[in-house]
Amino acid sequence: MLGSTSMMLHHTSGISRKQPSFPPLMGYSAVALNHVIDFKEKKQEIIKPVPPSELFPSLPIVQGTSKRIKVLTRLTLVVSDPSHCNLLRSTSANIRLYDIIAVFPKTEKLFHIACTTLDVDLVCINVTEKLPFYFRRPPVNMAIDRGIYFELLYTPAIKDSTMRRYTISNAISLMQICKGKNIVISSAAERPLELRGPYDVANLGLLFGLSEGEAKAAVSTNCRATMLHGETRKSACGVVYTVKKPRKVEEEETAVPACKKAKTQA
Amino acid sequence: MHTQPLRGRCPIRAEVAQSPQGPRAPSGHRRWTGHRRQRPPRPRRRHSGSGCAAGAGGRDLTARPLPGPPRRVWQLPVGGGGGRGGGGGGGVRRAGSGMQPAQLGRAPRHLLVCERGHARHPRSRHAAHVRDHAYSCRVSFLIPECGLLPEVLKSTIADIGDYYLVRSLPIHELVAHEFIDAFVKKGSCYALTYKTKIDQDNTAALLPNGKLILSVDKDTYEELGLQGRPSRYSGKKVMRYIITIDLTDAGFHPESKKHNRVLWALKEKKPLEFDFLMAWYNTGAEGSTLMSYFSKHQIQALRPKITFSTLRDLPCPVLQSNDLQGKPEESCSTEELFEWLGAVLNQVSLDNKSSSFLSTYCCPEPNTVVEKAFLCTITGFIIPEKIIQLLEQLCCYFGEPKLAYWLTLTVHGFADSPVSWRESEHGFHKGGENLYNFVIFRNLDYWLQMAVGAHDDCPP
Repeated sequence: MLGSTSMMLHHTSGISRKQPSFPPLMGYSAVALNHVIDFKEKKQEIIKPVPPSELFPSLPIVQGTSKRIKVLTRLTLVVSDPSHCNLLRSTSANIRLYDIIAVFPKTEKLFHIACTTLDVDLVCINVTEKLPFYFRRPPVNMAIDRGIYFELLYTPAIKDSTMRRYTISNAISLMQICKGKNIVISSAAERPLELRGPYDVANLGLLFGLSEGEAKAAVSTNCRATMLHGETRKSACGVVYTVKKPRKVEEEETAVPACKKAKTQA
Repeated sequence: MHTQPLRGRCPIRAEVAQSPQGPRAPSGHRRWTGHRRQRPPRPRRRHSGSGCAAGAGGRDLTARPLPGPPRRVWQLPVGGGGGRGGGGGGGVRRAGSGMQPAQLGRAPRHLLVCERGHARHPRSRHAAHVRDHAYSCRVSFLIPECGLLPEVLKSTIADIGDYYLVRSLPIHELVAHEFIDAFVKKGSCYALTYKTKIDQDNTAALLPNGKLILSVDKDTYEELGLQGRPSRYSGKKVMRYIITIDLTDAGFHPESKKHNRVLWALKEKKPLEFDFLMAWYNTGAEGSTLMSYFSKHQIQALRPKITFSTLRDLPCPVLQSNDLQGKPEESCSTEELFEWLGAVLNQVSLDNKSSSFLSTYCCPEPNTVVEKAFLCTITGFIIPEKIIQLLEQLCCYFGEPKLAYWLTLTVHGFADSPVSWRESEHGFHKGGENLYNFVIFRNLDYWLQMAVGAHDDCPP
């Protein structure tokens, strides 16, 4: 499945049933629902993600094809202190249930740590305010080598003209360092009106300094790569998957002790 | 004018001389054999911005007139003249001087090839061009100064024939020898997957010459196990592969290794199933029809949708059949006609009213206002043989004296088909247009304009 992917829809507790109908109507074939954890606030626990099958009983079909839309879960950690990263290093059970993990670094040191050592799929770039630090080549190149993607949002640009300026200037400064590789453009839409179609978002990538091919990849190929990167976290080095096999329930009357079972099978 | 006409060797063709499909049989270029000569190496000018599909950086844009009247003109967008590409993005304004403004103002690459000839000339290639373009989803013709359609044309349109939609058909049924013997070898069989996007999903198409083309994404290709080649429009990280299976090949008989491998891959290794649009043109041989062959699957026969409309007070450009470029005060050029025709077919109003926010487009000068014009649109899965019959009837329209100086026939191809002309690969970048347009004059001269979008090879 390689379709246009919208990487972020903010998950609000009162999500309405109508909302999942908009991304497939625009042509997106995969959507990620985002949960944001901000460590500045009081101690927050990472909650288990609500599986998409519970939220939407029947997934709608993508417009123009005959396949159903794929819904993923995603976690964004807003980190402003190195101690916040400990959560990722610990093998918390709840974190592993998310398909994609993203980190939003607020300082240069944390950006460096996120690009070089943290086990994440996406590094979010701040688009709502002037960047407090400049991007430098070494951590960005390391992130590209590790297969980590940088994420830009476009919904703040729709809402406000000041944020539009910051979005474009931050994006251009990122492009000058990374040369358009490993970019994912996503929305942080909370309402259906803030969504835009995949080809429109690819056009927006042109404003950020991406070439035509890179801009289209930012909405399709790179998102698929991010999803695969997240899947490999559940496997051993991306090569071996384990799947729980359903145990057959044995009846009480015909329970045979294990030693005798082995003899009869042999 | 933002496009630069180029007379000479087709630059795109020059770059793709080593096309992966192998050496091409000489085609329309045999007309140029008298003009080819050894040229001294010219300094290649670097063409900035989005290059052509072959990805080559340098394209020779020096216009050099050939001896004799030029018959073909290629239009390449050279720069400036934006419009199509940068429209979206939620109203975000262009960035400041930190960006490269040339890149923003450039529309995605598109090509328009214009050719002229005479319909009754023995070596005229109009029928060949129509036959090369296999899948058409919309045919429209516009006849100025015509209020009522002649009976002959009405019966030709009614004779267009049905096409079939087969749901959930596994692809190995198309490789079965009963199907090949019944349909592919007798007459021309056309099949195209329905509701699959060429840049996202797997797509399949069956050409009338017996080739089955599968355009699959990376995961499917790696699981399928058939040999293919990477798509030309895929970039450095290949995401799309094209597999071509020749069903009429002598080595593809029922017991051959090739056939067994293909059948195993499509039936057991990775069974692929699609909804197909199918049509069959049989050359008189009686046998089973598609409806009876696929009766076990959900097949329904569909009729193309036909709409007629009469346009009143339409400004039409004045054209001279022997002048593709047009003269400033006497006639319009082919590009101007192409744009005007696009506006008319999309029902864009041409009067440039000050209250209209949608369009400021006007009919190109010189033009005449025509009292009425007849526009007919046929939408469906239309095969080239029927289009050739329609083209013949439109040529016969000028058999009797008529007021109109010219009429047009426009054929749009499917945006999501894996091939455009012959077997050249078609991709969808931001618009998957591949269309051609005939302009037929009173003296049976014709202009043929073929247009393709970004991820497409130059039309033949």
